[in-house]
Amino acid sequence: MIVPSFNESANLPSLIAELRRVCPDYHVVVIDDGSTDRTSQVASALPVRLISLPCNLGIGGAVQTGIQYAEQHGYEIALQVDGDGQHPPSEIPKLLRVLKEAECDLVIGSRFQERDGHQSTLSRRMGIRLLSWIISVLCHTTVTDATSGFRALGRRAICLLANEYAEDYPEVEAILMANRAGLRIAEVSVRMADRQGGRSSIGMLQSISYMIKVPLAIFMSLLRSRPSLT
Amino acid sequence: MKENGQILVFVTTLVLFLFVLGLVRRRKIGERFAVLWLGISFVLLLLSSVGYPYLFRVAQFVGVPYPPSALFFLAISGLTLLIINLFAWVSKLNDRTRILTQQIALLSDRLSHSDKSTNLPKANPERAASQISFPDPTP
Repeated sequence: MIVPSFNESANLPSLIAELRRVCPDYHVVVIDDGSTDRTSQVASALPVRLISLPCNLGIGGAVQTGIQYAEQHGYEIALQVDGDGQHPPSEIPKLLRVLKEAECDLVIGSRFQERDGHQSTLSRRMGIRLLSWIISVLCHTTVTDATSGFRALGRRAICLLANEYAEDYPEVEAILMANRAGLRIAEVSVRMADRQGGRSSIGMLQSISYMIKVPLAIFMSLLRSRPSLT
Repeated sequence: MKENGQILVFVTTLVLFLFVLGLVRRRKIGERFAVLWLGISFVLLLLSSVGYPYLFRVAQFVGVPYPPSALFFLAISGLTLLIINLFAWVSKLNDRTRILTQQIALLSDRLSHSDKSTNLPKANPERAASQISFPDPTP
């Protein structure tokens, strides 16, 4: 279970406790992405494996570190849960069930499939919808929440993404990469919460630039050679 | 007037050339970039001295009424290429530091956990040492 965290000392303890309660069989790895607050001290007191990046890499680099950890230690399943408490651990079994039963390599937790729980602001919803539409067209599947960082990865997805992962806008591109490598992608409806503490790392101006940059990044990703599982 | 301008350009490029040479001598600039800059300043040096009449003729041939602007055009094209090249280089460095950061984090995690879980036999320290494949960081 990969928990990327950047300055999330306020959210971590309750999140980890909840994760341990819901999925006691899973190992939790907290990636401290060069936090400037007490994230690493807080995490080292918790029953988790703490991996501290010596400098801030951004969400992409942090999540990829977790995926690399899963790859190196031979894990069959990796779960990605944001450190800000937006992803309720109680929804994890849903992701796992689909991953196992539908024999998928990548399962995305979508907050828009059933429109339950926290739905984010209107402008962000529009943006996410546009990105999801682009991804759905390119991948010939239906994705409703392409930017969701709440996902489950099977072994094949772990091996693929450990080697190659986008740095700046990883969630959307990872779907595309997985699709181009021939992996199976599924989506499952989950309920998301509003953040409990700390601050979101994405502001208003950043959301606008996000909407311009991500489609460009998708386009550039298409220009590159097809990623392959080796 | 025209000669004065030519002298100014020549002196400037000469200073640039010597500056690059100085950087190379003091190992302040890597070979990869040094060769590039030596080449650029050498070409500029040629253009501002013996090549100047040719520059004039080439400019006339292309239909540029003011020869120095041909030089500007060349210089700006060259600089644009150079900047793109630098962007590529920076991206590559960025990639490398990302990979190194991740490797350091994963290795130090492994190291700290191999320290904690001391299920290595204490009676045979040599064997214990051989099982940990990391060099001892303490001097």
